Amino acid sequence: MTAALLVQSTVIGLSIGSIYILMALGLTLMFGMMHIINFAHGAIYMLGAFVIYYVFFQWGAPYFAAFVLAMLLLGAFGYLVERSIYRPIKGGIEPTLVALLALTTLLQAAGYPVFGTLDKHVPPVFSGTRNVLGVMISVERLMIIPIAGVLVVGLYLFINKTRMGAAMRAIEQDKEAAALQGVNVNVINGLAFAVGFALAAAAGALMAPIFKLDPMMGEQPLLKAFIIIILGGLGSIPGAILGGLILGLIDSIVATALGAELAFLLSFVFIILLLLFRPTGLFGHAP
Amino acid sequence: MRRSAPIATALLVVLVLLLLLPFGGGDYYVYLLALVFINVILSASLRPSLTCGQLNIGHSAFMCIGAYTSALLAKNLAVPFEISLLGGAVLAAGVGLAIGYPSLRLRGVYFAMVTVAFVEATRLVAQIWVPLTRGNAGLSGVPKPRILGMTLATRTSQYYLALCLMLVVLLILYKLEYSRLGLVWKSIGMADNLAQSLGVNIANYKLLAFTLGCFFAGVAGAFYAHFIRFLFPPEFGFLLATNILVYNFVGGRGHFAGPIVGAVFLSLLSEPFRGSPYETIFYSIVMLLTILFLPGGLITLPGKLVGLRRRRTVTAPSPSSAV
Repeated sequence: MTAALLVQSTVIGLSIGSIYILMALGLTLMFGMMHIINFAHGAIYMLGAFVIYYVFFQWGAPYFAAFVLAMLLLGAFGYLVERSIYRPIKGGIEPTLVALLALTTLLQAAGYPVFGTLDKHVPPVFSGTRNVLGVMISVERLMIIPIAGVLVVGLYLFINKTRMGAAMRAIEQDKEAAALQGVNVNVINGLAFAVGFALAAAAGALMAPIFKLDPMMGEQPLLKAFIIIILGGLGSIPGAILGGLILGLIDSIVATALGAELAFLLSFVFIILLLLFRPTGLFGHAP
Repeated sequence: MRRSAPIATALLVVLVLLLLLPFGGGDYYVYLLALVFINVILSASLRPSLTCGQLNIGHSAFMCIGAYTSALLAKNLAVPFEISLLGGAVLAAGVGLAIGYPSLRLRGVYFAMVTVAFVEATRLVAQIWVPLTRGNAGLSGVPKPRILGMTLATRTSQYYLALCLMLVVLLILYKLEYSRLGLVWKSIGMADNLAQSLGVNIANYKLLAFTLGCFFAGVAGAFYAHFIRFLFPPEFGFLLATNILVYNFVGGRGHFAGPIVGAVFLSLLSEPFRGSPYETIFYSIVMLLTILFLPGGLITLPGKLVGLRRRRTVTAPSPSSAV
């Protein structure tokens, strides 16, 4: 592998890694608080991309307006899902997981009649290329890194510096004790759903101009996000960020060397081995 | 106990109707029912491991292994159906054992994620290993089932084969559920710590439940391969695995009949949209409604209706009851 190829793989890996991090942060936040895995995350990513397709491409709104709209719409949808699916099941983990699986298959299958069966494409938002250490990289891919960075820092500040963030951390430590201290657990769980869904929508919205759009497009990033949160330790936010960066880099280099399909298969084998032999992740503590 | 006589009679009537169906119905119903029987085997074979509290979202992977093994044995090596079916089931069980053994320590969400990753990995192997499986072009020309040197050429004869397979599998699973083993599985599902403290080796029992399920999923897959005679990797993905789980939850997890009721009900009602996205939409909506409004599944519906009527008569006694 030449130096140029290495630089290119690294930059592409960082931008893909940023997308994975956005996906993984919501998953790990929701797992930390509610001990559930949101299987619908990939479908929300897909919906975020389709909001960009319609609002930005078809209706001609500015890209950033469409981007914010995608986050707001799907964030509101997340709150609604907590209210109408998570809350009525009252914390039964198995029924909740199955209900989220059903929501996933519902959104994916409904995508075919609603969006049509042909692949959709969104035209590029940022044109041109830039010289990074002697290698030309498209601005489209480069721009993902700062935008995702702003969202990650925003989430960090929200969780660590605001009262609502403190309430989230309290629920993560001990739900009953948090409720006794006056935290409205239902509302804060709903907020976690909203934040998680909004981040997944942002990831989809960032990827829309780069990949083709179809109702199943969320499967791959969802499974990648699984790897990351397991790698980083379920429930750990710094773990998810570090895990995302590592996976993005490995992914881009392995895919360049072996081809996309085999790289995808290897990533599943990696999840299985990781779960079997180190289920608490690289940085996680005892479950 | 006094209710068991009418239930036995009802089962006998259903069995006679199923045996007579090929004489009354056309080839279409014979074909449809045989597919329903496959779904019943898949659904019922997931139950032991669900009873132990393991959320397996990858059951279709084992069906896939059984289907490809049996199809390739019969097609490439001209192995008779009895042997190839057994080979498919044994390989499915073997892979189940290999994946189940190390994942026994995992609980709930972790186990569910292993199975999701496994079902996608299996599908990808079937897709990538083109020299053996023909990949996404699909494996066609799988021979019809041949038993004791006799080829089952007609749909009707294949229907009876499917019926026999289903009855044998259900009988075995039923006997196991109401044996000591079934009680141990149930105790693990209810409180595994307590079961362990009472001296139950929960790891072995969970592994047995999981491997047994994989074996029967392999049986279902092997029959499917020789019945449809065309295998296509994406059909064995995550969606089919979710459907098998949905049969169990919609039917109800509290009783042996639950997965059977769920598989029959959903397979028959979704028949108008089979193969289209509306099938999945229908399944998903039924699943969400069941979990939200009938958490015990369809099998608790008669009891609930009776309870409702009884409550109504208590709160507002009708003149006739006063007499």
